[in-house]
Order: sequence, then structure tokens, then C-alpha cells
Amino acid sequence: MAEAKPASQKIWLISNDNATMEVDRVVVERSMLLKNMLEDLSHTDITQDNPIPIPNVNEAVLRKVVEWCEHHRNDPVTTPDDESDARKKTTDIEEWDQKFMQVDQEMLFEIILASNFLDIKPLLDVGCKTVANMIKGKSPEEIRKTFNITNDFSAEEEEQIRRENEWAEDR
Amino acid sequence: MPFDLAGKTLSPFLKEHIPGLYAPVGKNLKKEDKTNPSNALVHIKDPNTKYCYRHRPDSKCRRAADETKMGTIQRELNNLPSTDQEAITHVWSLFSAAPAKHRELMLQGIITQCCFPQLSTVSREVQEQLKIDFIATLPVELSYKILCNLDTVSLCKAAQVSRRWRDLADDDVVWHRMCEQHIDRKCTKCGWGLPLLERKKLMAWNRHQHTAHANPPTRSAEQSAEPASAPAAQGSNKRAMVVRDDSGAKRSRVQTSPANGRAQLDEERKFRPWKDVYRDRYKVGYNWKTGRCSIRTFKGHENGVTCLQFDHNILATGSYDTTIKIWNVETGECIRTLRGHTSTIRTLQFDDGKLISGSFDKTIKIWNWHTGECISTLQGHTDGVLSIHFDGCKLASGSIDKTVKIFNFDTKQTWTLRGHSDWVNHVRIDSASRTVFSASDDLTVKLWDLDSKQCLKTYLGHVGQVQQILLMPPDFEPDEDPNADVGDAASATSGRGDSPVPLPEQAPDSRTAFGPGFSDSSRPLPPRYMLTGGLDNTVRLWDVATGRCIRSMFGHVEGIWGLVGDTLRVVTGANDSMTKIWEPRSGKCERSFTGHAGPVTCVGLSDSRMASGSEDGEVRLYSFEGNSLEERGTPS
Repeated sequence: MAEAKPASQKIWLISNDNATMEVDRVVVERSMLLKNMLEDLSHTDITQDNPIPIPNVNEAVLRKVVEWCEHHRNDPVTTPDDESDARKKTTDIEEWDQKFMQVDQEMLFEIILASNFLDIKPLLDVGCKTVANMIKGKSPEEIRKTFNITNDFSAEEEEQIRRENEWAEDR
Repeated sequence: MPFDLAGKTLSPFLKEHIPGLYAPVGKNLKKEDKTNPSNALVHIKDPNTKYCYRHRPDSKCRRAADETKMGTIQRELNNLPSTDQEAITHVWSLFSAAPAKHRELMLQGIITQCCFPQLSTVSREVQEQLKIDFIATLPVELSYKILCNLDTVSLCKAAQVSRRWRDLADDDVVWHRMCEQHIDRKCTKCGWGLPLLERKKLMAWNRHQHTAHANPPTRSAEQSAEPASAPAAQGSNKRAMVVRDDSGAKRSRVQTSPANGRAQLDEERKFRPWKDVYRDRYKVGYNWKTGRCSIRTFKGHENGVTCLQFDHNILATGSYDTTIKIWNVETGECIRTLRGHTSTIRTLQFDDGKLISGSFDKTIKIWNWHTGECISTLQGHTDGVLSIHFDGCKLASGSIDKTVKIFNFDTKQTWTLRGHSDWVNHVRIDSASRTVFSASDDLTVKLWDLDSKQCLKTYLGHVGQVQQILLMPPDFEPDEDPNADVGDAASATSGRGDSPVPLPEQAPDSRTAFGPGFSDSSRPLPPRYMLTGGLDNTVRLWDVATGRCIRSMFGHVEGIWGLVGDTLRVVTGANDSMTKIWEPRSGKCERSFTGHAGPVTCVGLSDSRMASGSEDGEVRLYSFEGNSLEERGTPS
């Protein structure tokens, strides 16, 4: 750790479908999982021929995640348990991230899973907020349509649940 | 024909990739058996041969077959000649048998052959079919994370989507978060704040929890101390997130048998879901917003009401008729009348044990309001007492004699703070910072250091007599106001009103703004913001450290006599007989209430109620909780 690590130090990752990619170490370190892993390794351990395997993440998703990390390479590192700002949290997403998240639902799903697995909290947050924004302001039927969900309530149940939640309606 | 060719290429392809279906079962298995039985298993499990990893049978996120779509395809297919049907089926079979890599290659090949209208079809179909039930499919902790980003209304809609969604969207994890964001504070996200509510039950709950935890090791001593320590616990928990109420707590507190530890645990488990807790508060918050309330009128004083305070049990009022009355809040009945003052009562304050009152007869009296007995009389002011405020062992009073007096009940010491040039209408102690604020007919508000007994700051700005001071809670933060009263900043001076120094927009270190007495960084600073109300018909918001008047709140057409508030709302009463509710962050008036036949002289506020007292001799108590509520007042 103490040894000098040049900003240009490269790391190689390999996706679960065997695509190898070269990434700057600082970019890779947006992932807490990989950052901790790298700290335990000598910088010569990872080579082009001996890349870090990223299981469960395919090439397309991994490229997308790396793209996000590239753009946010200079962001200040968030403290692991920064729940104090929970109150300030909003579903506002910065513009670049919003554009970045304009992907199909499968890709969004995969980004969320990958950022969770790789422990990239800010990316996970953006992913979750994006899904939340897809739910917001919709009726139950519109939500079902958006995510292709089958209504498994009986008519009576549906009516009862509607009444249970009536208090929050905009009266 | 192509079918021969298909037969030659298709069969081996299918045989290789779906051996179970296309190869003779017995033969194949036998062969595998001989070599290595576990090999077959490994082969099937390998995600990259047959299934893309998302299509593995054990993956939860597979697309369900779309029956309608299948039906359409079947019908279309049936319309074709059988040879064509066979050809198309072959293509599908090949694709369906192919491993992930092959499938991708096939797709790419097909897509490159497509013309634009066909690509448009692909695009439409993909749009329609690429839908994932995130909430039901993601690991639950991620589903909660998504749901925690929703607002109240959306969360309640989400609960109606499907069984799985309801389970997750109604979960305590999510609603506890909602409660944290909204209860007793204004949510920065949506601007909504919900009341804490049910302090009584909350207190009972605190006691109950305390008892439950103290119970097993040291039973008797802790328990007997319980009732006494409870009020202190309430104070410290006022802002804490202990909002669960527990109807059984009161009863369990009375139980003293050692076996009840278990019963209490069971009761702890009977908590109401956080969603219900939130719903109750949301309803009250909604009632405040829309002015839906019930009104009770308290009649009995022979002259105008001058001061009041209420809690969940009692209302105390003081009047020109020289008496103090204690009322039952629920029934409206007058429980007791405290007689002893010889002139108008102008101020009162009570806590669990005592009530302190100040009168035009120049005295301050301390009463046991439970019995009506006057415990002692303090004589110190040389003229009528206009305001008292006690906190802990300190009592401050403001008088017509232009002074502020501080009494220390512990040391029996008394000080006089001189500086105002006219009646001192209102005093507020801030115990934490050891300071006191005073408002006067001399149009100023002063901040005093209780250590040095010096005036630290004078707030100039009001153009009428200042009647009321309201110190804002630490989590209060005003909205940025582009039309702030910058003009008033020039009139604010620090120190004793010596040479007016132009104040910087934002003091670099607010500690230095209060002088050398605050150089010790362990001394808490006075509140950051205060509101003041005066006979110039305005409420003003001040930055306490810089002395800057941040804004003026207009609306009353005559002078303001009463001002109370919390983080969620501010209530004013004025000479124009009106009571108004204000949004403290924006300073906007939300609703105005009429009903009194004379000036409103005093106001009171709790989480679900507000009260106004008037020179017409009546008190109106507005309750925003409960049933049979009606919309009252006029929205602004």
C-alpha cells in the first residue's frame, strides 16, 4: 500500500464472458471490493495475462460500469456509513448520470447487481433512484405495465388494499 | 432441397446441444455413466454452454411465457403452407438449442439483414418485452433501497401492485425510514413534516422500555425510581426517534411482579407497524395543511384572557380578572381557579409540579396548580410583571420597570439586567448557552450573557413595540429568500449599540460574534435563528449571530401579541382578532382563523393543537386530530 502507485498504473479485468479490459487503477478503485483486493496484492500480481476475474458481470455491463467509474474517477470517496445525510437524500440525479442511466431495463438491472457486487455505492444509489423514478407518480396499473407484472390480487383483495392505502391519496 | 441440408446440419447441432431430447437417451447416459457420472452434471451446470447465465433454470429472473403472444404466433404460423411452417420451426429450433454465444451471433446476423421497417419491429418488440420486475427480482435489500427513495403516495401505490410488492412496500424497514425523514421535522425532499404526536404515550413508552431493560438485574430500586425520572426522559427524547406508541405501556408500568419481564417483552413485540404510525401522523399533518379541525371554546373568565399554556391534559389561562384558571383540555371544564394576585395576570408558565405567574401587582407567584395553593410570592420588580420564563433552576422576568430580573432557585441569587429604555414585554432563557433574550417597547430585542450579566447584542429593526420572541430549534433552516430585507441589515448593531459596524454578510466564525465570553469552544452558542413579533404588525426572522433581519413576515393588519412555533409551523395572534398559521421556512402565511370578538392576546401550540386567548374572555382550542373535523379558517 505504502509503495508509490503511479496514477497511470493499469489493472486488467476479465468479464464472465472472457473479455479482458485494461483500466486505470484509480478507476478500478471506485469499486470498494476491488480496492480492498488490490491493497492485499502486490502491484505486479495483476497482469494482462492474469487479470482479475469479475464473475457474474458480462462484457457489456462491465464496460458500462467502467465507463461510469471513468467519469467519476475524481469524485471524493464517500465514507462507508454516511447515513447521516439520509435526510438530504433526494431522487435528484445529476445530469450525466441521468443520461448514463438511459438504458434498457435489463442493462439497468445488471448495473444495479454489478454495482452491488463490486461495492460501488454511488452507482448503486443512482441505479436505485432511477428505478424509483420509474415507479414515482404512477398508478398501480401503470406500474404493472412498466415492469410487466401480473396482478395476483383478487378483486376483493384489490379493493381492500386500495381502501387501506386511501389515506395517502391526494384528496 | 433445403430440408435435406437442414436435416444434415440441423440434427447434429441439436444432438450436440440438447442431448437429452435429440440423442437416444439410454445410449447417451450409458456412455456417460461408464466414463464419469458427475461429468454430465457439470456439463449441464456450465452456464456458458447451454444457457446464458440469466436463463439458467435456477435464475429467478427468467421471462415468463407470454400466452397472448404465443397464440398470435401460432395463428400466423398456421396460415402458412406446411413446408414454410417446417422451415420456420427449424430456424426456431436451432436458435432455441443454441448456447448463449451462438444465439448472440445468430441474432447479430439476423439483425444485420433487417431493413429499417423490420428493425422498427424489433425495436417495438424489444421495448414491449424487455421489462423486469425489479422489486420482486432484485435481492430484497436492494428492493428496500429502491422503495426508500419513494414518496408517501408512490409507496402506497406500490403496495397495491402485487402480493410481493405489497410485502416489500409495507415493510417496517421502508416506513421506519419514512418516519425518520418526516416526523417532527420538515423533510428536505418533499417539504412535508409530520407531528411527533402522543407525547403522553411516548413518555409511557420510554418509562416502559426503561423498566423492561432495567428489570431483570436490579428490579426494585430501579422501578421505584421510574416515575420520578420520567419527565427528564421525555425532555431528552423530544427529538429522538422514539415514536412508537404502546397502548399497553401504562398498565405494564403499574405491574411490579418480577415475572412481568416476559409480559413486557411480549408487549414490546406488539408494536404497531411503522406504516400505521406514519399514517396517523400523515393524517394530522394533512389536517393542519387543509385546516381540518374541531374547535372547543373555554368560557369562564370575567374579563379578557392575557396568557395561556396547555399540554395534553390541562389548559392554564390568566386574565384581567386577576385569576388563573386550570381547565380540563378534553372536557372543557374549569378544574380550578387560582386566586391571590390583586391585579391583571399578564404571564404564566407551568410544568408538572408548579405554575408561575406574573401580574400587574408587581409580584411573581409560584403555585401548586394541583391543589391551588400559592407556595411563594417573589417581590423584586418595582412595577408590573409582563413576562416570566423558567427553565431548570433559573427564572427570568421582564417588567414595566424596564428591567429583566434573573432568579436562581438553587442559590437564591437575583440579578437585574438594565439596558432597555421602556417596558420589557417578553423574556426567553436559553439555558444551554447561558443567555437570555428580551423584547421591549423600546423597539429592540436584546441578548444578555448570564455569566457576565452584560448585554451582548441589540437587534434593531422593528418599528413598533416588540412583544414576542421565539427561539427556533436547531434543525430549523430558512429557505433562501431572494427578496430578503437587506435594507434592515444596516440598522442592526452589535455590542451595546456603540459605533455601528457594517456587518459582514456571513460572520466567518459565529463564535466571535458573541464576544470573549464564548471564546471557550465548549460553551454552546445561542440558537441560530429567532422570530420576533411586534406591534408594527410584522414577524421578523433574525440571524442571531450576525444580527441581520433575514425577512419580515406580513399579513396581520394590526399588532402581534402572541407568537409560538416549532420546526413545522408558527402561530401568531394579533390585535386584528385573527390567528394565523405560518410556514416557518418560507415565512408564508398558510391559513387565517377568525372567531374571537376581540384582539387575540396569546397563542399556544402542540403537535396536533393550537389555542388562542382573547380579550373577549374566551380561549379557542383547535384540534387537528380525531374524527368529525371540519375545514376551518381561510387559506392564504
